[in-house]
Amino acid sequence: MLDQLGNGLLLGIIISVASVALSLLYGVTRIVNFAHGEIIALGAIATLFFSSPLDYRVLFLEKFSPLGLNFAISCFLAILVCGLFGGLLEVFLFRPLRKNDVGNIAVLVVTIGLSILVRHLYLLFATGRVQNFPLELQRRQTYLFFDMTPRNFNVLIAGIIVMIIVGLLLTYTRLGKAMRAVRDSEELSSVSGINSDNIILLTWVASSMLAGLAGIFQATINDVRWNMGFLILLLIFAGTVLGGIGTSFGAMVGGFMIGILVQVSVGLPFMEGHAEAKNAVALAVMILILLFRPQGIFGQKERIS
Amino acid sequence: MNKTILECNGIAAGYVKGLNILQGVDLVVNDGEIVSIIGPNGAGKSTLLKAIMSLIKVSAGRFYINGIEKTNLSTHKIVMEGIGYVPQVANVFPSLTIEENLEIGSWSIKNKREAIKKTFSDFPMLSDRKKDKAGNLSGGQRQILALARALITSPNLLLLDEPSAGLSPVAINEVFSSIKEINDSGVSILLVEQNAKRALAFSDRGYVLDQGRNAYQGNGEDLLNDPRVIDLYLGKL
Repeated sequence: MLDQLGNGLLLGIIISVASVALSLLYGVTRIVNFAHGEIIALGAIATLFFSSPLDYRVLFLEKFSPLGLNFAISCFLAILVCGLFGGLLEVFLFRPLRKNDVGNIAVLVVTIGLSILVRHLYLLFATGRVQNFPLELQRRQTYLFFDMTPRNFNVLIAGIIVMIIVGLLLTYTRLGKAMRAVRDSEELSSVSGINSDNIILLTWVASSMLAGLAGIFQATINDVRWNMGFLILLLIFAGTVLGGIGTSFGAMVGGFMIGILVQVSVGLPFMEGHAEAKNAVALAVMILILLFRPQGIFGQKERIS
Repeated sequence: MNKTILECNGIAAGYVKGLNILQGVDLVVNDGEIVSIIGPNGAGKSTLLKAIMSLIKVSAGRFYINGIEKTNLSTHKIVMEGIGYVPQVANVFPSLTIEENLEIGSWSIKNKREAIKKTFSDFPMLSDRKKDKAGNLSGGQRQILALARALITSPNLLLLDEPSAGLSPVAINEVFSSIKEINDSGVSILLVEQNAKRALAFSDRGYVLDQGRNAYQGNGEDLLNDPRVIDLYLGKL
């Protein structure tokens, strides 16, 4: 069970970071971004491209030689690439849709289409093969009660530090307050003197960078796949909704809870031999909690008057 | 005659392309005035304020702020031209504290700390509850916060969209008294109000809109006693 809990913490940090990114974007833009999973995958694929040895032939790198850069620098560059990708999506796709008053449902369908398109571009220019970052194998060690590799432990700690930094930035900085203001009302933000287009652009960039980081975490712990983001997208949505959609702190905790529930459920007696159904327990718990607390664990009811 | 702060010439605008609610509205606000816009539901009163703030696109006509054309300038730039706006609904940021609401209101000015400090001294109720979420305030308290947020940039002209809507009689008196104090401090007011009698009695001048066009205009007192306006909108006095 402790092993599963350790794995749950690792899955939890991936989903937590990705859920905060999704929640941040939804809160400010009201876009339910089904292409979020593809930005997660981009973080991993870009890192693989930047870090793999020059003679290594992986994914679409069969056509283009990888760069063989230092792994940490590769991660940094990949996160920048994700931020740039998110910014381009806002400027060339979602901003024009917003300016033309395209409805939320139509935008949702656009994100689904974008998700399918980008995911299959990864497949088209890649192989379907599962790949790993060029990192040496490590032995598991005991940290408190949990056995995990030093690298995975570092991912866990890095994820927690990133979550704290994001929370502090949203709460105390001018940009964080502006993001929360635009989340409450884009119109009121504009009449308060805020250029809401700029805030929305920065939100896309920040959300995409966080999603890319989640992808790097996921690929470091597991592997790189063309559909890796899509495979965990439902769990990310579950974490976001469970914590309270639109609240970043809620998404953080909700994501962690979903990750732990998924992994711990594997150890339950009735799950023996049915590990592939592990997501079901987590999603059932989410439904139960929402029945009793529809606004999510940290979502708040507000006065309407 | 006082300097003209805002001039609207033949404004046509609406929420859907090709379907204008405003069909050519003219309006002038001079320095230091309180000007009311009244009219039946659907006349385009609130739409006119949104068009002035560039929240909806103007398809014909022109706006001049301090004599310079500003038609369809971005909303945040209109604010920098010295125009404040308090919407009828959703006029505070509910998830932000009172203090954070004022910080956002002061986004475009340099001396933020001093401006917030002055606002707290002008509105002591806000100072007492500055760490409270705006979403927990009553309707009247929200309206006061909304006024304070719009005033923090020291605008020359304040646009108010139905500030008394949904408030108790006591809260309405408080809000109108605050508006009078704001005007006495030198800020011009353009007021959209359903309570037409009170608005006209309170205003220097008024405009009556009907189906997106100017119907009547004149001094507040004259409109209040105009038989055509009484018959159409005010009822028998």
